[in-house]
Amino acid sequence: MLYRMREMLCAVLAALALTLTATAQAAPLRIEITEGVVEPLPFAVPGFIAENSGAAEWGAKLAQVVADDLIGTGLFDQINEEAFISRPTSFATPVQYADWKAINAQALIMGAVTVSGDGQLTVKFRVYDVFSDSELGRGLQFQGTTDGWRRMAHKVADAVYSRITGETGYFDSRVVFVSETGPKNERKKRLGIMDYDGANVQYLTDSSSIVLAPRFSPTGDRVLYTSYATGFPRIHVLDVGDTRSRILETQSDKMSFAPRFAPNGVTAVYSLSEGSNTDIFTMDLASGQSSRLTNTPAIETAPSYSPDGGRIVFESDRSGSQQLYIMSANGGEAQRISFGQGRYGTPVWSPRGDLIAFTKQHKGRFHIGVMRTDGSEERLLTASFLDEGPTWAPNGRVIMFTRETQGASGQSNLYSVDVSGRNLKRVRTPGAASDPSWGPLQ
Amino acid sequence: MLPNMTFLGHRAHVGHYVSGAAHVGLIGWLLIGPLFEVEPLPFDVTSVTTISEAEYAALVGAATPPGSESETATPDSAPVIAEAPAEPVAPPTVEDPAPAVPTPEPPAPEPSPAPVETAPAPLAPEALPETPPPLPAPVSPPEVSPPAEPAPPAAEDVEIALPEVSPRPRPRPAPRVAPEPVAPPEPDVQIAEESQEAVVPDESETTAPPQEEQDATAQEEATSEIVTEADEAPSGAPERTIRPRSRPSNLAAAAPATPQTPAAPPAAQPADTTTPATPAPTARETTADAVNDALAEALGGTTTSAAPAGPPLTAGEREDLRVAVQQCWVVDVGSVASRVTVVVGMKMEETGRVVTSSLRMVSATGGDDAAARVAFDAARRAILRCQKDGFDLPQEKYDQWRDIEMTFNPENVGR
Repeated sequence: MLYRMREMLCAVLAALALTLTATAQAAPLRIEITEGVVEPLPFAVPGFIAENSGAAEWGAKLAQVVADDLIGTGLFDQINEEAFISRPTSFATPVQYADWKAINAQALIMGAVTVSGDGQLTVKFRVYDVFSDSELGRGLQFQGTTDGWRRMAHKVADAVYSRITGETGYFDSRVVFVSETGPKNERKKRLGIMDYDGANVQYLTDSSSIVLAPRFSPTGDRVLYTSYATGFPRIHVLDVGDTRSRILETQSDKMSFAPRFAPNGVTAVYSLSEGSNTDIFTMDLASGQSSRLTNTPAIETAPSYSPDGGRIVFESDRSGSQQLYIMSANGGEAQRISFGQGRYGTPVWSPRGDLIAFTKQHKGRFHIGVMRTDGSEERLLTASFLDEGPTWAPNGRVIMFTRETQGASGQSNLYSVDVSGRNLKRVRTPGAASDPSWGPLQ
Repeated sequence: MLPNMTFLGHRAHVGHYVSGAAHVGLIGWLLIGPLFEVEPLPFDVTSVTTISEAEYAALVGAATPPGSESETATPDSAPVIAEAPAEPVAPPTVEDPAPAVPTPEPPAPEPSPAPVETAPAPLAPEALPETPPPLPAPVSPPEVSPPAEPAPPAAEDVEIALPEVSPRPRPRPAPRVAPEPVAPPEPDVQIAEESQEAVVPDESETTAPPQEEQDATAQEEATSEIVTEADEAPSGAPERTIRPRSRPSNLAAAAPATPQTPAAPPAAQPADTTTPATPAPTARETTADAVNDALAEALGGTTTSAAPAGPPLTAGEREDLRVAVQQCWVVDVGSVASRVTVVVGMKMEETGRVVTSSLRMVSATGGDDAAARVAFDAARRAILRCQKDGFDLPQEKYDQWRDIEMTFNPENVGR
């Protein structure tokens, strides 16, 4: 018995020692990196190779739009073509990784373009992770008419962006906005639509009546907006394809405004004003049937659905000051989420669902900010004389908004900012613009 | 009296009976006692160390084929990230972009201003006669797989593990603290409260007054402050044992082949002065030997590996490596991936360069697979871009950085 006990003890001790020391043996050197750099990722995009004579004029243009898209995010930095050591002469040419490493190109975009006799443009491309000596994803090709060359370039850029960042892009998307002309006291407004970068501006309405707050449908085929065409603010729905619009069947003797589509695209939520009271209603767009969601003596407006359609965030002064609240999409008790100083308004739920963008007025200045859906982690991204009306890019990464300059000659323009607060820049528009609504990725 | 005598006589008989029974029992136990001995004595004592260090090293050297150490000690050989296929040499692969190409929109109407969208048409396969047939839809990003579980080592190739530090700290007296530090006295000098010179009567000197004979004394060694181990400068001595090689599967069979085999075979060799000699080995003893060998190797602190060993990297050397990587780690602070902490494992060449194919994601927390993949890609780019011709690591400590795991934690980057 004594022997057995000793043997068992030895075995246990040996096993324990072996386990401990085996763990120690297998342990590699461990280093923790907690600091990094926040800087654009250098990339190289040689002009797309023209694979036939008709494509010669498109190669450089396509590459330039792709580069502009990526640079515009603030996350990428283009390496000047003069620094290139090698230049690909064929789409099938093996990549000389060493040449691109030498100029610190972390990503390489190789493209080729072909134009057929009937005006069909074919664009194909590959993305390479230079320092890994490997391709990111696989080659991809788009085909369309030469008139749509910018859109094809945006699609290439979206694919590149997605492969490098892991997020969907937003370059092949459009923005509907209010185009403004004339002095402040006699301003003409009409609805415009453009590419996300301000190109290809088209107008959806004329300037005969004031229009406000257009909102894209989830599929981008319709727009809800408020118009004074009847002399009274009423909500209209416009078909983007044929630009026809109709008035929503709300109560005709009351002001209706601040419309927004539900994620399902078949219902809308809006505000209805009666005297000094404003409440939130929802409407089935097909039947025109409305139902009340709030019923308080306060002003409650600017509703915005969560991506899953289950909740609505809105602004209300029921507490005495303008704050943000969240309620069920079916109405009911609302929960206040903003508690900071100042006034909060125009909340918009992020397509990702994790953040709510808002306008904040505090100490005479306006801010665009974001907070978690529970009101935590509030961050102000901008500050100016007047910033308002945020709208999210379809990937939830960028916010576009209206910035108005001070003074009698001041005018509104569209700006965009990364959700991190970086890369604030003006969006190019032909003239003054306000009330942007970012459409879906096409 | 009679009753008493009878009683006494009766008691004398009882004594005889008891004595007789005791003797019979003793004799019987002596005769048949061993028959009930269940536990064989030979197994009660086992040898703790049956072979010497040199012998074991020789055995390991003979039994372990070159390179087997790295093969058996790398549980991470399974690839984790599916690399995109190397494409450059292949003809251009063009995929059918049907899922990615937008559906054509109706043409803009003639009246009133309207958006003019020229949507790309779906790809016609015949449009590219020079290219291979259309490939499947665009592939999703490479999937991130959890690291494969290391394969269990073969039973006959179990490594002998050693503790990281010696289990036997040598007792050391605490330093004596005194207002004034005192140097260590001579070894043959008595310790006293006061130091004094030795006085020896000089018989030749008669003019000087006689001095009383005394022994030399000195104050006990002392220091003015206590310096703990934590405050001591690193000695540079190795604090960890190196990774030992695999233990041969059949120690007894391999022993005779080694030239350093002691004169006495291990089974017959007295194992330890504290243990009696063991009888001839049996099957059970072989098992016991294996257990005791492992225990001895683990606790005895003997280093049997012939592989080059070096001291651990100093804090400065680790910091240099960390800084070298972090200055190339680009974090996209607005992305979902910026919330992902990813652990990247890699193998290193002796030149300080990373074995590119060994880069793998050990773990990722804080995001979904897509975000983890992006975080891993960013970490991989940082490592590969900043290594240049190899990280500046001390080559004599290669064993310490042969395998590295780097944790990229973006929690505080840019915030």
